[in-house]
Amino acid sequence: MGVNRQSPNWVLLSLMLVSVVAWLFLDALNVAPNRIVPGTPYTSLEVMGGWPALLLGLPLLGVAVLAWQPSRKGLQCSLAVVVAVLMLLPLWLAAATVGFVDADAPQARVGIGSALWLLLFLLLLAVIELRTRLGVSRAKGWLLFMPMLASWWLALTLWLEPLALVREYRVRSDQFASAVYTHLMLVGAAVGVSLLLAAVLVLVMRRQPAVRRIGFAALNFLQTIPSLALFGLLLAPLAWLGSRIDWLGNMGVSGIGWAPAFLALLGYSLLPMVRNIFVALEEVDAGVIESARGMGMSRRQVFVQVRLPLALPVVLEGVRITTIQAIGLTAVAALIGAGGLGTFIFQGLGQAAMDMVLLGALPIIALALVADALIGALSERLRLGGAQ
Amino acid sequence: MIELFDVTKRFGDETAVNAISLRVAKGELCALVGTSGCGKSTTLRMINRLIEHDGGEIHLDGEPVRSFDEVTLRRRIGYVIQSTGLFPHWTVSRNIGLVPRLLKWPKERVRDRVEELMQLLGLPVAEFADKYPRQLSGGQAQRVGVARALAADPDILLMDEPFGALDPITRATLQDEMRALQARLHKTIVFVTHDMDEALALADRLVVMHQGRIVQQGSPIDLLHEPANPFVESLLGGLDRGLKEAALIQVGERMLPFGPRLLASERIPYGASLSQALSVMLWHRVDRLTVVDEEDIPIGELSLRRLLGAKAP
Amino acid sequence: MTSSSVTTRAVATQRQWLAPLIWFILLLSLAAGMSQLEWLFRLLEPELRQVIYRRGDFLALLGRHVLVVAIASLLAVILGVGAAVAVTREAGRDFLPLVAQLASIGQTFPPVAVLALAVPALGFGTLPIIVALLLYGLLPIVRNTLAGIGSIDPDVHEAARGMGMTPRQILRQVELPLAAPFILAGIRTSVTINIATAALGATVGASNLGDPIISGIVNGNTAYIVQGALLIGLLSLTVDSIFERLQRRP
Repeated sequence: MGVNRQSPNWVLLSLMLVSVVAWLFLDALNVAPNRIVPGTPYTSLEVMGGWPALLLGLPLLGVAVLAWQPSRKGLQCSLAVVVAVLMLLPLWLAAATVGFVDADAPQARVGIGSALWLLLFLLLLAVIELRTRLGVSRAKGWLLFMPMLASWWLALTLWLEPLALVREYRVRSDQFASAVYTHLMLVGAAVGVSLLLAAVLVLVMRRQPAVRRIGFAALNFLQTIPSLALFGLLLAPLAWLGSRIDWLGNMGVSGIGWAPAFLALLGYSLLPMVRNIFVALEEVDAGVIESARGMGMSRRQVFVQVRLPLALPVVLEGVRITTIQAIGLTAVAALIGAGGLGTFIFQGLGQAAMDMVLLGALPIIALALVADALIGALSERLRLGGAQ
Repeated sequence: MIELFDVTKRFGDETAVNAISLRVAKGELCALVGTSGCGKSTTLRMINRLIEHDGGEIHLDGEPVRSFDEVTLRRRIGYVIQSTGLFPHWTVSRNIGLVPRLLKWPKERVRDRVEELMQLLGLPVAEFADKYPRQLSGGQAQRVGVARALAADPDILLMDEPFGALDPITRATLQDEMRALQARLHKTIVFVTHDMDEALALADRLVVMHQGRIVQQGSPIDLLHEPANPFVESLLGGLDRGLKEAALIQVGERMLPFGPRLLASERIPYGASLSQALSVMLWHRVDRLTVVDEEDIPIGELSLRRLLGAKAP
Repeated sequence: MTSSSVTTRAVATQRQWLAPLIWFILLLSLAAGMSQLEWLFRLLEPELRQVIYRRGDFLALLGRHVLVVAIASLLAVILGVGAAVAVTREAGRDFLPLVAQLASIGQTFPPVAVLALAVPALGFGTLPIIVALLLYGLLPIVRNTLAGIGSIDPDVHEAARGMGMTPRQILRQVELPLAAPFILAGIRTSVTINIATAALGATVGASNLGDPIISGIVNGNTAYIVQGALLIGLLSLTVDSIFERLQRRP
């Protein structure tokens, strides 16, 4: 029997091998002279003589070797390597772009190929895996992504002008800013209003079982209707209201635009919000409530000082789910003219301009991830201070 | 017959079971006792290879357990655990019939066997056959657990604190039934418990474990009389040892069959234990008891002197 | 069992399926007889020449919608349950933490974004939609299957092993039946999202019930929008009520 002989970390091993193969043999870049002409694909080995690509790929093979006999030191080393490669990747892209595109070709654009996307995805998975294995805390885990984000930001602002995504952004930077603003406003309004409404609704529901039954049935029913259908169904009555009632019309209520989007978002947001607030308040440990009563706290004191603080993490979980859902649904709302980042997606799809689709889709995903992380961190903090 | 030769088990750096040797004869009930974490459960689970041993050998009727396919091995050995582990999505009868069905017995034979076992364990078929485990009380669930372990009529039964989660009254009833059952079936049983009274009441052989080693083994009386060290002594009850021993001896063994004498005022059944007899004497402040049989007919007398083990006057 | 109790149970079963049946009949008759309601939609858009969507037969649109969702969901169930089972076996356990985290992180991605990303990767048409639905639909199924298998009392597992069940028998007779309610809930979530996301597929060149809605938005024809929306809504309610019944069984 060997001493502390570890079995190989198959996860890391397979991630690394697939990464290297994908990186070296799939298309890394796509260079086109302008927006219309389809570009020429290049593998990473065809760029800059190939050696920089090998230089990025070889350390990953090293990680694969370390994964064969994983030790804590080896895993830490692997994490450092993966984070470093993730950091160098945008710099490689920047160097490649500068090499490929002449300064006098202002229309030329560089697209990111499948090799690069795949490598990015697989390495992020590797970071997650290593983070779990090493037991890195949530907060420190986020720090791991900082060098990568910093280097992407640097590359994007300084050297990656010819990148198709950047070109697409430059053309409509004002539009982009206002789309982000609209998106956030719609999400914020829907989440905020639904939180208030849900709180009131739950307070009534806790007193009236009939309201509880009907309320949950109605919200469940609403949640089942697909978003596109609900937006569509709200269109007709709102158009009618907007045209008949002047002050509503003056406010901007019509079948198209923010009004149906907001109403539908609100409807969808209510169910997760109500459900979580309800469950949160119901499921506070009965023993704790009992002892609070026994100590002579009044009903009001029990609610404000015991039940509410203990319920808060679960309520926040509801806010988190609702926010993420609303970020996605707001994208759909672009179809009925509500604006927001979804506009780029659907315009891009309409014009078969894939980079424009990315310009909409990537920030939406980023928003969802950031919202998830922020609210998740907040609720973890409250849980630490408040309850288990 | 179960034999363990220098069996060792390590978990990482920790040695859970350290070179223990043990022989359980056919038809013997062997109780493994000790504080929690002493390795008694690990030892039990190595016998049916739920845990593989690292060193030494375990033999079943002279053949190493490693020579069997582990699934075949387990189907030959009955297994009962504290939390019953009944399948919540199956009815009582389906749970009991599990191993026979795994062994591909014909349907009728499985059904007959299930009904036989339910009767044996005092579970009326009409009432319990179609119930689900969550509808049972703790005692009923554990009866089903025992019935399931006995289903394929294994020679060997492994029981891991089977009555540990039950209330004292149910537990005592099940212990009595267990004793009666064993008197009929003569299985080879390894029984893990941390309850010394349970071990003393049921076991033919008592094995005391501490920190992965066997500290002492022998018959309950032997251990009571000659504990190997202060640990065994305290485990066996310290100052209460006398009462524990008295609990193992039946009144019938010490009584004086009747001569022509006056009946004592208080009565005790001949199947009761000496500790119960002592308790009756203390309570009524008397030094003589009339011993009666099942029909409450006087058959003898027990005096304090005889209870204490002195020769008859 | 007496014959009357058999009948009662049969009636009860029939009644349980009443709601799905009603939704289904409504869905079919609306899809088949939409043109009979021309007068109604005329009220909605009195000035337009055409108020009934004619570019595709509604039944055909419905059929294609159901087909795409069914293919994607079926594949998602097979792959999702398969993956979750694989990573909870002895051999695949190394992959469990990563798969569990991926399933939960993946669910923060909005389905629209996933659909949008599938197009640059795979082009326009039905294929990218099926792939996007499949990928996204996997997540709740994987997550719920993991939760279901994880929720099984370890002692039940231990007892199953102790009784001499083989790993395959434990999986099929103990783990999967006990995890079934969780898995079913995951499939329900997955299918519900898929029906909604498939409708968006109309923007990437698939023809299904999303078509009338998109076309109505583009042409400013509210009647088209309402027709598509009603059918999608009814389809979701039909499917959801079927799951509701399935989940209610013991």
